[in-house]
Amino acid sequence: MKKCNLIIIVLIIPGFSLLYAEFGIDWSGYFQTDNRALIKGEHDFSWHEYRLDLQLEAYPSTNTHFYSEVWLRTIGNSNIQASSDLYDKEKITSTNLYFKEAYLDIYGLILKDLDVRIGRQRIAWGTADKLNPTDNLNPDDLEDMWDFGRHLGSDGLKATYYLGDYELSAVFIPKFTPAVLPAGDWAAALSPSFDLPEGIILRNYSDKIIMPENNLKENSVGGAKFSGNLFNYDFSLSYVYDRDDLPLINKASFTPIDTFGTVDISAEMVYPQMQVIGADFAGSLGDVGVWGESAIFFPEKIILSTDLSALGMGIQESIALDDEPYIKYVLGGDYTFTNGIYVNAQYLHGFIHERGDDNLEDYLMFGLEKKIFEDKVKIMPVNCGFEIKDFDNFKDNYAVIFSPEITYYPYDNIEIVFGAHIIDGKDSSTFGKMKDSDDIYFKAKVSF
Amino acid sequence: MKKKTITITMLLIWICVSIYAQTPTAEDILKNVDAVVNAPKDQDLKVKLILTDKKGKEKTREMSMLQKGSDKRMVKFLSPADQKGIAFLSLPDDVMYLYLPAFKKIRRIASHVKNTKFAGTDFTYEDMEAVRYSDKYEPEFLRKEDSLFVLQLIPKEGLKTDYSKLIMWIREDNFYIVKIEHYNKGDKLFKIMTRDKIEKIDEYWIARESKMQDLKAKHTTKMIFEEVKFDSGFSDDKFTKRNLKK
Repeated sequence: MKKCNLIIIVLIIPGFSLLYAEFGIDWSGYFQTDNRALIKGEHDFSWHEYRLDLQLEAYPSTNTHFYSEVWLRTIGNSNIQASSDLYDKEKITSTNLYFKEAYLDIYGLILKDLDVRIGRQRIAWGTADKLNPTDNLNPDDLEDMWDFGRHLGSDGLKATYYLGDYELSAVFIPKFTPAVLPAGDWAAALSPSFDLPEGIILRNYSDKIIMPENNLKENSVGGAKFSGNLFNYDFSLSYVYDRDDLPLINKASFTPIDTFGTVDISAEMVYPQMQVIGADFAGSLGDVGVWGESAIFFPEKIILSTDLSALGMGIQESIALDDEPYIKYVLGGDYTFTNGIYVNAQYLHGFIHERGDDNLEDYLMFGLEKKIFEDKVKIMPVNCGFEIKDFDNFKDNYAVIFSPEITYYPYDNIEIVFGAHIIDGKDSSTFGKMKDSDDIYFKAKVSF
Repeated sequence: MKKKTITITMLLIWICVSIYAQTPTAEDILKNVDAVVNAPKDQDLKVKLILTDKKGKEKTREMSMLQKGSDKRMVKFLSPADQKGIAFLSLPDDVMYLYLPAFKKIRRIASHVKNTKFAGTDFTYEDMEAVRYSDKYEPEFLRKEDSLFVLQLIPKEGLKTDYSKLIMWIREDNFYIVKIEHYNKGDKLFKIMTRDKIEKIDEYWIARESKMQDLKAKHTTKMIFEEVKFDSGFSDDKFTKRNLKK
């Protein structure tokens, strides 16, 4: 199937020029390499991605617009286990094709001021920089934890009615899609800890995910947003009916293996329903750009049922997720000094994977960048974040993330990037768990 | 003798009054400038930008620019590929929006951004705004050079700008700007804009080429209007956030 995809792409690329000439289809995109290696140890490769992004755009008529974006990628290492695998090109250099977006816009449908978008689309809500508590319609794409704010496209319909400076959007997504989780150590860092009863030793863990029933009531996602301008500030109010796109364990069965307390655990996971009411604003305070965003989450109550009957301890129940509402928010600002130095700071309460009032942590992010040598080089020497898990015991519950970066633009459409991800902190914090995974990276990108 | 003195005095007064009557005030000149620059009901321009660094190396950008009246302007980048789709909307009362297609978001531009370079050119976001100079600056008549009026423009109180003053050269015959010197907060000349190939299309004057020169960086940006259309009858709907992302 993947080979077939490749062939399709190879045939499509030279055809684009013809499409443009004959049908006015415009195409563009980029090719990007992304290689990362750990700083510690033997400098293992932590990321290896070659991505071809293709964007296709057309205006079939005055009031319609088509857009699509596709990624063709090789990612990760060769998956060679035995000599027989060497005959399989897919295992030697795996490729994957991913439709990021493909949608049709119809402008002025039925009503002059009504626009409709149908198809796979990114619905980016919120005014904050990359970390948006109100941006809940599209599933999170956490494949690359350093690419904050990346989301999958959702297959659905968005209708927007414009009334002067105000607009009202309604979104309907028929089928729920789960988030993409990061692989390896990051997955463990984002997962809530599972406390085993005293004296129990885990041998194997397995789980199955219970997807929502395939019907309108259980599977559909919807939302609405009203936005406008008040007192020179842009604002919006939103509502989303959705499911949490990260799974949560609601059942766990312990099976004893021996008499020394060794067990296997099999778990069931669900995607809790939730409703989210959001609000955001953006504007200026003096010369400083300011923004804020807040979302109140109303989750479904999830009871964790732990079956310990095989251990003679019966079935125990506890609350995995309470239905008490909780609030995530971001406040931020940016400023450009007359010498061209740009600074950006954000305070975030509640990271992507955190749920429940008691589990929300605080994060402070700060970035500074300047372009030098006639804008041929962009330096970001201070690009950092602080995670504070517990203000009362800061020294045992923190993480510091430092991510300096330098980008060189030798010619138009070319970018070469060097940088590092450096983390220090305590294992009790999310990012602190990753302190041994510091890496350096090199990226090259050509746009066309 | 006395009769002769009275006659000469009267003659001198007449000459002075005539000269005064022929030289409009700075305010009148600037109002005429605004009227000429913003005369078309709307403008539909295809623009080529040539950026030249101090070594003479050139880069090219292309964009479309729509303007309605004197205070609504929409700019969309057509090339290079890594800037294609970036769009900028300038509205009355210093309201500006930027659309970045990579993020699928429209962002309000805070005032600190207005004095930064617009997409690497020597024009700032402020320079790219649709503008009525007489609304923003207090003019002062400096001198007349051949057939050019020379005005000094001081920002009105409350105007957020990095310019401490502008010196503007204006053609006497049609009130079209041919040159603007931009002075920074230290009152030092740091940018010069010149306009060439001034011609009349339909009933409106337009400079086919404008050049902004950054004296410190020794960098210039030439803006060439390759295609010009006037009075296409754009509605206000063209200049909205809705249209910015289309």
